[in-house]
Amino acid sequence: MTGTVLVLLLIATPIFTILFKLLDAPGETWTHLRDTLLIGYFTNTLFLLLGVAFFTFLLGVSTAWMVSNYRFPGRRYFEWLLILPLGFPGYIMAYTYTGMLDYSGPLQAFLRNTLDIQVVGSIVDIMNLPGAVFILSITLFPYVYLLSRASFLQQSRTLQEASALLGRNDWYTFRRIALPMARPAIVGGIALASMEVLNDYGTVKYFGVSTFTTGIFRSWFSLGDVTTAIYLAAILMLFVFGILLLESVQRGHRRFASNKSVSKPLVKRRLSARKSWMLTLSCSLLFFLSFVAPFLQILHWVGLTYQKTMDEAFFFLILRTFGLAAGTGALVAVVSVTLVYSLRLSPFKWLKNVSRIATLGYAIPGAVIAVGIMIPILGLDRWLRESLPAGAIGIVLSGTVYALIFAYMVRFLAVGYHPIDAGFQKIGIHVNEASRLLGKNSWKTLWKIDLPLIRAGFLSGILLVFVDVLKELPLTLILRPFNYQTLATKAFDMATNEMIAESANASLIIILTGIIPIVFLNRMIRRVNL
Amino acid sequence: MNILRLQGIDKKYSASEDYAVKDISFDVRKGEILALVGESGSGKTTLLRLISGLEHPDAGTIVLSENTLVSGNRSVPANERNVGMVFQDYALFPHLNLLENVQFGVRKTQGDPAEIARKTLQLVGLKENYSKYPHQLSGGQQQRVALARAIAPNPSILLMDEPFSNLDAMLKDQVREEIRQIIKRTGVTAIFVTHDTRDALSTADRVAILHKGYLQQLDSPKNLYENPANPYVANFFGRRNQVIATATEDGFYTSFGFIADERSRNFRNSVKLLFRPEEIKIKKSLKQALIGTVRQCAYFGDHQMVLLADESGKSIYVRASPTRYFVEGSEVFFTIRSFKVEEAF
Repeated sequence: MTGTVLVLLLIATPIFTILFKLLDAPGETWTHLRDTLLIGYFTNTLFLLLGVAFFTFLLGVSTAWMVSNYRFPGRRYFEWLLILPLGFPGYIMAYTYTGMLDYSGPLQAFLRNTLDIQVVGSIVDIMNLPGAVFILSITLFPYVYLLSRASFLQQSRTLQEASALLGRNDWYTFRRIALPMARPAIVGGIALASMEVLNDYGTVKYFGVSTFTTGIFRSWFSLGDVTTAIYLAAILMLFVFGILLLESVQRGHRRFASNKSVSKPLVKRRLSARKSWMLTLSCSLLFFLSFVAPFLQILHWVGLTYQKTMDEAFFFLILRTFGLAAGTGALVAVVSVTLVYSLRLSPFKWLKNVSRIATLGYAIPGAVIAVGIMIPILGLDRWLRESLPAGAIGIVLSGTVYALIFAYMVRFLAVGYHPIDAGFQKIGIHVNEASRLLGKNSWKTLWKIDLPLIRAGFLSGILLVFVDVLKELPLTLILRPFNYQTLATKAFDMATNEMIAESANASLIIILTGIIPIVFLNRMIRRVNL
Repeated sequence: MNILRLQGIDKKYSASEDYAVKDISFDVRKGEILALVGESGSGKTTLLRLISGLEHPDAGTIVLSENTLVSGNRSVPANERNVGMVFQDYALFPHLNLLENVQFGVRKTQGDPAEIARKTLQLVGLKENYSKYPHQLSGGQQQRVALARAIAPNPSILLMDEPFSNLDAMLKDQVREEIRQIIKRTGVTAIFVTHDTRDALSTADRVAILHKGYLQQLDSPKNLYENPANPYVANFFGRRNQVIATATEDGFYTSFGFIADERSRNFRNSVKLLFRPEEIKIKKSLKQALIGTVRQCAYFGDHQMVLLADESGKSIYVRASPTRYFVEGSEVFFTIRSFKVEEAF
């Protein structure tokens, strides 16, 4: 019980830090930044958010509707192929597209050598704000696609039949019935994508677009001004809460689930040959742009550079990153089980509400968490240094891998928590009670009864956290120990140092690992819906 | 005048399955209420979906108010057929309020959609606030909204899929009559599907019985009950007893005793006597009566169903008054008021 509250408090540290530090008087840097750069941060971030929201909506909803409603060649494959772009972290997509559109890249080479067209550089310049919108949209649209597809699949077939029999065509039915009913899911998807936009550092940094995230990095690393970083983090958090608020307000109390009766799934409709090939073509084009082309480019680069890059050090880098990710995954799973289980057995109902703090981390941008954790840890170290006899170790926690793992846990606890919580809810409380009535204490029951039953949720929790840690960039950049690399930071460092082709080796491993849970996740969703 | 004509309709859902419906032909007259009755899997819902255009038949033609809807490969899509449908689960749009639901299918060319919707809601007797949402209504009210939504665009024909199955028994009798009234008042032609024979007999003008995809008989309720075309139809509306008898000059010898009847002269040797349980009258004495032994007795409140056996153990059902007390194993005397005689082969 006290343990539970303590864990929750620890997880809430970054939020408390930021609230607490906001009380500090702003320094000169802040005043300067406020007068010069802040408006740019604001408009850039807003433009990025709105742009990505618009395009993920367009791409995600249209593909979800096609795939869940019509028969066309390749539909069964596009159903899961369109999720694969999620395996691309935004920053890797950014490097890849920059390379592809480069003077020496395949597009310009083709135009120049085959069609004899000289391209003026700026025509295909992607390293700007609209370019960032494009990159983030093609990597994040699967969130909207996934959630709206799930919603379309849940909608009762009879509602669409009713609309058709009332004389309405497909387009009218889509606009008036399917779309409004899927609204909560669609907005949920866009909210997820927006969180990722606010979290992104790699893409905007590489494209030279100044946002709140890059601002935090600048004031932290270049200017060394903690207060300014905190102020920027606080504003960024306002964006996050704004999005969360919008999302929950639009969801309201209405639930558009169909009646209690079992709803019949949608029947996929046939189209004329010409129309169905049009659908195949548009899905192919999107899949090509968001996955095939960048993936081929990365393979090409790996082919060029693997002999130079894949040495012993690189092998150890992989081992270390995987170890870090697996260790964090296991830790998150264990903490989640402990939290969920003690909440289940706790007689205090209010604890359940407090426990939502545990899952808030996923909404908070990595840079904010990093700053919110770094400050108390630095303070703790200073205190330890002063109270320990002179000559003892100077750095205890700051700049160690423990601080990094703790930050990962804060950020990704929700990712592991949800599948485990769902697992517990599915098995119900009665088996647990039966075991305890048969004379086993609650920890023995957890070990013998509950844990074996939630195995699937436990493993998927570890797996999802594993992949997220692998891709994580901004938080790792701030909190990593000196000269400590993960695959993500390695790719970032190389790309920033004009070694895009070499960076592809680390990227490839991140992408391939990222695809595993996507396929796995898709199978889970299908099982739920069919 | 016929408003709907089906001719030689076949439908198979997949090559490996049996026909869902096979060689169905019938006409529906303008303004009548037709019930499609059958067990689950009889093809009744398929037939409704074929008429509505939600499914396409493999063969046959469908003509609705002189427009050919289906013929060969040509099939008018569902949204151009002007067919109204009340779904089993009502399929009300959960995000639209009552008025929006009902005016959904009304075209501006028909008049002010909101005005038409309001009038239709009044017609179905719904006095609720029209800005309420479907989930705020009871099951019976939801059904009225579904009915109003289906008839508001003035369809050529109204189709209803198991319209009474979601209502509890108390409400059902009342709703059945009300819906019949509403349909008759609007003058719309209606077809409804049901598995409950009581729904069909009490609500429909004519009833079509389907079994394993084939049409068994289409007739008025009275004719179906009294002159069933085959044993399946006969048994569909309650039990029918069948007793083997030998015809003589002045009557029939059965295992329950002798029945004097002049019709016996028309038959030779073995015949079947067919009669419903309510045709049996319990008697006090054996005088001119038959005799059986009580095997079972089930009490239903308004009547009792008694199983009577002859010496060899063959049995018949008797519908008896609820006040009488039957002891298992005791003997009972009875006569048969009326029965049908058929040659036994």
